Amino acid sequence: MIKVENITKSYADVVALTGVSFEIKQGEFYGLLGPNGAGKTTTISILSTILKPDSGSVIIDGFELSKNPEQCKRSIGVVTQEIALYNKLSAYENLLFWGSLYNVPDAGLKKRIEETLQLFGLADRQKDKIETYSGGMKRRINIASALLHRPKVLFMDEPTVGIDPQSRNLIFEVLEKLHTDGMTIIYTTHYMEEAERFCDRIGIIDKGTIIAQGTLAELKSTGGIKESIAVTFTNLNEDLQLKLKEALLGDFHFSKQILTYYSAQIRTDLSKLILRCNELGAEISNIEIQKVNLETVFLALTGKQLRD
Amino acid sequence: MFKIALKDLKLFRADKRAMLLTFLLPIPLITLFSLAFGGMGSSSGSKAMILIAADEDKTPTSKRILQQLDSLKEIDIKLTGLDTAKNWVRKGDEDAVLILHKGLKDSLDAGKEMPIELVYDKAKQVQMGLYMSVLSGNLMRIVGTKSMEKKAMNRFDSQNPGMDSAMKAGVHQMIASNFDGGSGADGKTANSDGGAILKATAMEAQKENAPGLVQAVAGTAVMMLLFSVAGLGASLLQEKEEGTLKKLLFAPLSPQSILFGKMISANLISIVQMVVMFSFSWLVFGLNIKQNIPALILMILATAFACSGFGVFLASFAKSRAQVQGLTTLIVLTMSAIGGSMIPAFVMPLWMQKMAVVSVNYWSIQGFYDIFWRVLPVTDPVFLSRVGVLFLIGLVLNLLAIRMYKKNILNIA
Repeated sequence: MIKVENITKSYADVVALTGVSFEIKQGEFYGLLGPNGAGKTTTISILSTILKPDSGSVIIDGFELSKNPEQCKRSIGVVTQEIALYNKLSAYENLLFWGSLYNVPDAGLKKRIEETLQLFGLADRQKDKIETYSGGMKRRINIASALLHRPKVLFMDEPTVGIDPQSRNLIFEVLEKLHTDGMTIIYTTHYMEEAERFCDRIGIIDKGTIIAQGTLAELKSTGGIKESIAVTFTNLNEDLQLKLKEALLGDFHFSKQILTYYSAQIRTDLSKLILRCNELGAEISNIEIQKVNLETVFLALTGKQLRD
Repeated sequence: MFKIALKDLKLFRADKRAMLLTFLLPIPLITLFSLAFGGMGSSSGSKAMILIAADEDKTPTSKRILQQLDSLKEIDIKLTGLDTAKNWVRKGDEDAVLILHKGLKDSLDAGKEMPIELVYDKAKQVQMGLYMSVLSGNLMRIVGTKSMEKKAMNRFDSQNPGMDSAMKAGVHQMIASNFDGGSGADGKTANSDGGAILKATAMEAQKENAPGLVQAVAGTAVMMLLFSVAGLGASLLQEKEEGTLKKLLFAPLSPQSILFGKMISANLISIVQMVVMFSFSWLVFGLNIKQNIPALILMILATAFACSGFGVFLASFAKSRAQVQGLTTLIVLTMSAIGGSMIPAFVMPLWMQKMAVVSVNYWSIQGFYDIFWRVLPVTDPVFLSRVGVLFLIGLVLNLLAIRMYKKNILNIA
């Protein structure tokens, strides 16, 4: 459905993209993650046709973006991070306007608006002006406005930032439905749990290039990232640290009063580690098992937290 | 494009406060200026005077009078045909024409009333007062004493019909020598009779619409329209700041159609605002807006086009709404001041009148004078030239707006 080949983009003397390539199949839920300034927004802006790449090619729904931008625009829907609605118009008027831009026939559009408002739980507020809505309700309408022309591809740029749990859950339900219905979705977020929950595949972008991509399981195995045991001691001094270093085998490191021990067989190694610590007179105050997740993968690959 | 325009109109309608400000705010101002300018014509002003003259007498005497007037530092005489001169005055191109009617020499010789007439545009009574004050004294000095001398001789002859011709000639010589002594180069002979030498005639085209009212309505309407459209144009920057412009660019529209949509809505709202203002002036102040509806429609369209062009240009030029607000205040007030919205252009110094042509206000106000005061037909070249200038201003501003829109506004990704 989407094929991006080696796109580059520079602003004056700042290089935003150094050669981004990825491919997304129809119906796939693709997460694009990266620290701030990594090139996510530039990539989405190029894919959503408002920015031209310096080089490279993009094909959306079989259409070359540089040659058929209008056709590509008809195939995509874009949910921006900012709530882009007209506050003085009602929800219904907003949806009618945004839908009309895609030449959806009037009768069909009105029916779709009704359905979409029902889907987002706002049918009873449709005549109220947007300025009277809560942040979460506005965000729901913001998403709804991108769906009225039934796009084949939906770009969503952090659609759940700063909203209430009720709206978040409603949006999640809609996302699951859209995914089930076969819509191709490209999703950027800073919430690890959202990416883990929805994304079939994830691309991690940093410094203008995709540094890793694949399923969550594939990413977890990328770079040999292991689960770890974090043991906190009450009496860790230089002498004890030296004894532990001599006694322990494998990959580990100390940080203040904490020993972090990496392991591929966490259950077996845990009991051995406790036993050895006791033998050396180390007093343990806490033990924590740190599993591999997207956050740790992201940290390992980019050196930054997802929310940096 | 039309969808964008329709959306903007809906937004405008939804913002009740903005709508009230657009349509109601000009009304107290029109009222204020109408009351202020309603009795206009009795005030005074000053400026260098170029006076158009038509010599119908075509005698050495009439030529001498015109030469003498031309030699005065206060007046610069420009000679032309009577019809042309009257036409210029009627159309507002010239303030007045001095006509030396046929029979001037004979009247002068016979001591009769001088057939010298100053025909002026009644909308420009201020200048008229200045012309009269300069011309009366000087005409009195140039021709008045001769006329009085003839009157004295005629009176003497009629009272002494039996006197022989030799004696009469002697008396005439005495009378002449008396008047010669009184008509020195210092011009002190000018007296209250001077006014009688010059007959002033207002060229009054339309009696229903007082020029002060036309000035007040047209001047205020254009000024307020410029303020309104600047606000409408700023909505483009609001769209940019609030993210809706970016969202519009995601849709299968050309970026230019977004701007064109703004232009259409700005034009439509401008037209409605003008209609509201003129309707109010008709209902409350009795401005006869029905006397030349085609011309009124054309001038409203031209003014709306030029003003909306200004608004869209400003929005494309500025980089934030705060900039638009600052620039609007500065530019609109300046244009209104030099263009005649605040005070009539003709009472301003000549250099300011020359500058006025760069403002939308000037062309529009003059156009409305053509309609309501000079009563020019819609096909009149002078009126059409003003319409043309306004459309040209609008076109240039819109083209500049398109150019700057690409550079300043679309750079949002």
